[in-house]
Amino acid sequence: MANLDAADTTFRPKPNLPPPPNTVGAVGWMRKNLFSSVLNTLLTLGAMWLILSVAYTLFDWGVLKAVWVAENRRECLDRSPDGACWAGVIHWFNTFMYGRYPYAEQWRPNLGLVILILWMLPCWLPRVTGKIGIALSAVIIFPFLAGYLFAGGEKGLILQILVSAGIVTFITIWLHVLSCLLTGRSLPVHILGITGFTDKDDRLHKYPLIGAFGLALIVVLILQSGWEPPEVGTNLWGGLFLTLVISGVGITTALPSGVLLALGRRSRMPIIRVSCIAFIELFRSVPLITILFMAVTMMPLFLPETVTLNRLVQVIIAVCLFAAAYMAEIVRGGLQAIPKGQYEAAQSMGLNYWKMMALVVMPQALKLMIPNIVGNFIGLFKDTTLVSIIGLYDLLLMLKAVSQNPQWNGLYLEPFMFGTFVFFIFCFAMSTYSQHLERTLGSGQVRR
Amino acid sequence: MKKLSLLGLGIGFLAGFTVMAEPVMAQSTLEQIKQRGHLRCQIGTPAPGFYSLDANGQWQGSDVSMCRAVATAIFGDPSKVEFQSVTSAVRFTALANGESDMLSRTATWTAFRDTQLGLKFAGINFYDGQGFLVPKSLGLKSALELKGATVCVLTGTTTELNMTDYSRTNNLDLKPVVFEDSNVRDETYRNGGCDAVTNDKSGLASTRSKFANANDHVILPETISKEPLGPVTRNGDDQWFQIVRWSLFAMIAAEEYGVTSANVDQMLAKPPSPEVARFLGVEGELNKGLGLEKNWAYNIIKKVGNYGEVYEKYMGEGPGAIGIPRAGSQNALWTKGGLMYAPPFR
Repeated sequence: MANLDAADTTFRPKPNLPPPPNTVGAVGWMRKNLFSSVLNTLLTLGAMWLILSVAYTLFDWGVLKAVWVAENRRECLDRSPDGACWAGVIHWFNTFMYGRYPYAEQWRPNLGLVILILWMLPCWLPRVTGKIGIALSAVIIFPFLAGYLFAGGEKGLILQILVSAGIVTFITIWLHVLSCLLTGRSLPVHILGITGFTDKDDRLHKYPLIGAFGLALIVVLILQSGWEPPEVGTNLWGGLFLTLVISGVGITTALPSGVLLALGRRSRMPIIRVSCIAFIELFRSVPLITILFMAVTMMPLFLPETVTLNRLVQVIIAVCLFAAAYMAEIVRGGLQAIPKGQYEAAQSMGLNYWKMMALVVMPQALKLMIPNIVGNFIGLFKDTTLVSIIGLYDLLLMLKAVSQNPQWNGLYLEPFMFGTFVFFIFCFAMSTYSQHLERTLGSGQVRR
Repeated sequence: MKKLSLLGLGIGFLAGFTVMAEPVMAQSTLEQIKQRGHLRCQIGTPAPGFYSLDANGQWQGSDVSMCRAVATAIFGDPSKVEFQSVTSAVRFTALANGESDMLSRTATWTAFRDTQLGLKFAGINFYDGQGFLVPKSLGLKSALELKGATVCVLTGTTTELNMTDYSRTNNLDLKPVVFEDSNVRDETYRNGGCDAVTNDKSGLASTRSKFANANDHVILPETISKEPLGPVTRNGDDQWFQIVRWSLFAMIAAEEYGVTSANVDQMLAKPPSPEVARFLGVEGELNKGLGLEKNWAYNIIKKVGNYGEVYEKYMGEGPGAIGIPRAGSQNALWTKGGLMYAPPFR
């Protein structure tokens, strides 16, 4: 034993051989997943043939044989009868976006969108405080400013004040954001510093802030009182703009009113509970289209002749009520998933009902419900196309209108392809954002 | 206490609502429109030739011109119209509940509608009728040769009913293939999914003009139904009804007199006949009963055009129109063998 060479006895495993080349990489993956048996190979080949032929047909129709510039459909047909006539979509693009909104005024919806984006942007910026306030103001104050910007015309005193408040709030938010980003301190802190209230009792702090806001409000009120963009009746609103207005208002009001209804349904007070149940069950058991017909066609029958209702407002109210009822049930589902211990823990901390709900229960419930809530929003966004049935020229009806124009007679496939694309972008963006939210809030985790 | 106050609130709301809903003094339709500043005219969802949107979002078409003519008669301004585009399911409800002042859409004048829906048909501005469109290659000369054919038709319309009636009467055994959407129907027909399409002939003309080779398809001569189309008003306001009716007559009469939007100013300066003078408001007081300005008819012709001009622009064979020949059809003037006839202006 002793004369054996130590080096020779040590067990030295040979290095692992690389796996056979046909089991790794793309080839391996394909062998494993696509061609593992005769049947799978056949299926793969069949599916590939199907995909390729559909893709090629689409490509051939939509790109190779397509006509991009033409004055009317006849010209398209003359040049390439089997190709897409994208010239029609390009020609009608503005109308798809704004409907019958006058061309010279179309900057107003654009400006409204830009303001909304700027208004909400701070919510995603780091080092900005008071994000809940900013988001709330976007929901509560922005609609008045935007509504007036879109509709225009004369404004009464109340509208004057609301519009001014919108402008002041918007400016305040951005001053606040800049102050947060540049100096690291919030705008109220600066105002208190300038007015010399920093050292005074906390209870007095609100006075200089309210004063500053009031002063700004009066200045803006005077400055903007002469601003009066020409009136654009809501019957001229249309296209994607209208779709976004209806679904935007529906989506933003659905969540708060859904939360209130859900709480009301679980309330111990009988009148509130019964009326909430009645409301939810009534609106959930009737299709949206029926509610829309009811609101638009039946309502005027019950009202005196001189009362003229605004069709768009009727529709928006109907959509909001409908969305609220559905949202209420989603939120209630979330509430039921919260263990009783959470309520008891909150109560033992001495929180009252509203604080318990706002600080302990709702954040957990809503977090759980994000996929359902966003799913509901996406559904609502697509449901708004139903307003086309009662004659509001939303995106869908504008797309349909092309095929009925004598110049573009029969052009319906291309506009619908375009509409599909637009809807896909919006719904996919919402869905992606909800997944992002789920990840950051960790609500996808399994509950213990 | 909380419950009590809620109850009080509810009662308060109810009471307030009842007070609000107190009936107000009835105003005539004309007064309402003048007060509002524009006419509310109901049209349908786009249909080529009658009412369609252009890429600038403007309504255009022959029925749209009818709305504009009435607005012009009242305000002297064809733009003072709010167009209400309503699906056919609720068209008469929207007129009956006061949402629309008048209806100018492809609504067929029938005994039932005229007598039982609280409506009044003010006249006829288009004589339509149902027919068949077939490929030329079939070599058909008459709808009676369609025996056993499959026919594409829109569902839920009288079109389907008319077709089955015609089929039964003539023992044709037509097989309907029904569709919800006219574009899909036409596409199916084009791809050979059915032997023929049936629809009102105006609709067939626009279907035909959709195809790459319009000349490969023919509209058969038979007209299997009568579809007189015209503006409609609500019952209960005769003056308003007459304004709509005579706005239509003014357009037809102007064509007969040879008054067009181009020459109406010369005619006004130098009326060729006493009737034209009365028509344009130079003589007489024909406007009085209608409650309109003296030059109401002049305004219509000047700003909208006479019946023939409107027809050529939207229904005729020019560019941008759907290509229904007028000569020899029922829509020609009575002096040219058609049915378009206006009572005299005197």
